[in-house]
Parts: sequence; C-alpha cells; structure tokens
Amino acid sequence: MGSELVNPVSLPTYTEIFNRQFPFYLSIGMTYDQYWNDDCLLTKYYREAQEIRNDRKNQELWLQGLYIYDALTKVAPALHAMKPQRPSPYPEKPYPITKEAIERDKEEREKAQREKAKAVFTAWAARLNLPEEVNANE
Amino acid sequence: MAKQIRFTYDGVDYTLEFTRKSVERMENTGFIISEVFEKPMTLLPTLFAGAFWAHHRFVKRDVIDKIYDSLPNKQDLIGKLAEMYNEPIAALIDEPEADEGNVEWEANW
Repeated sequence: MGSELVNPVSLPTYTEIFNRQFPFYLSIGMTYDQYWNDDCLLTKYYREAQEIRNDRKNQELWLQGLYIYDALTKVAPALHAMKPQRPSPYPEKPYPITKEAIERDKEEREKAQREKAKAVFTAWAARLNLPEEVNANE
Repeated sequence: MAKQIRFTYDGVDYTLEFTRKSVERMENTGFIISEVFEKPMTLLPTLFAGAFWAHHRFVKRDVIDKIYDSLPNKQDLIGKLAEMYNEPIAALIDEPEADEGNVEWEANW
C-alpha cells in the first residue's frame, strides 16, 4: 500500500546531463579532455565566448546587409526597378539575438515610445494655451 | 577556477576537486549525492575518496581513509564536498562569476 503514490518519473543523473550537454560544448570548441577532465568552470567561459562570437557575427551580417542595401538603393533608380518612392530605412543596429539584448532592446523601444508620447502630449498641451496654475477643483 | 580543497598530509600536498569525469565515475559505482545527508557515516568517506580521483587517482583507499580519519571539522567538510561535487553540473547552468570562492582547507595537525 502506498507504493502507487511514489512518483515514477526519476530525475536524470548528473552523468545523463553531462552526456546530453557534451555535443553542444564540442560544437563551440571544447575538447573531450577540457569538458570531462579539466576545470569544470571552463564551460561557463566557453559559453560566454560563444555569445561574443555570435554577437560579432551578427554585427558583421548587419554591416554586410547595410552594404547590400546601400548598393541596391543606389542602383535601383538606374534600372527603374522600383516605383519612385523612398525605400524603407535599413535597421539602425543589428537585430538583438541574445536574451539580454532582446530585453534591453525592448526596454529601449518602450522608453522611446514613452518619450515620444510625452513630447506629443507636451506639444498638445502647449497648443491649448492652458493657464500656468490650474485649480484642481475646477 | 573550480572549487578545491587543499591540504598537506604526511609531507604530501593534496588538491581535492571534482571534474565531470570523476562525478561520472562515482555515479557509475552507484553513488547518489542526495543520499549523503541521509547516510553521512557511510557515504562521506566515499565522497571524500572520489574527490581524489581528479588529481591523485593512484592514491590507495587505505591512505585516503587514514587522511579522512585525521581531518577535523567533518560537519563542515560534508557541506564543502557536496558543494564541490555539485559544481560540474552548476557550471553548465550558471553565469561566470568574478569570485569563485575557492576553499582553503587548513589541517591543524
């Protein structure tokens, strides 16, 4: 009695987790010996290095895209390839690809939106010619 | 740098540390870390012996047991060894820290 209450799902062993993660670390340049026998904290620094590599690659791709965009917008009028209208602007910076960068980007966009809304409201308030002191009871 | 316990016994310097390989090796022999706190008298010497494998794998078990018997503060030792044992798995999840807080183990004999 009671044995049926025992959770049949057992947690993975450390070895199972090590084996599952091993191919990822091989793919970012760790050797067998570094992963299994060296300082166990090396994995943290390999992950951080991989993030830096990803970020650099993202910057390079963004710059390459900018050159292509520039070339296309310069050559398009001569080829009459586009209707006479301005093309959409190229992104000002690379797309965020890490979790932190995505969150930072979201915060920046929200802040920019707030600033924009504040500016619109201030301009609108200025046009209304409100008196300096407004009685709250009115 | 990974957490280590360092001490000198009988004129020999020892550095205790866990690597993923030594944790795998211990699990292959049936060791389960969560049981250490339930059966410390049986499993703490095994955990202690496992910490030798990374840097001193050819030290005989009876020598390790003698060292273990002579170490003071066994209650603190169990916590530190468990922390060291967990580090290889934690390092797959955690972010790098500025201070890794190595343990300096001082023997007073």
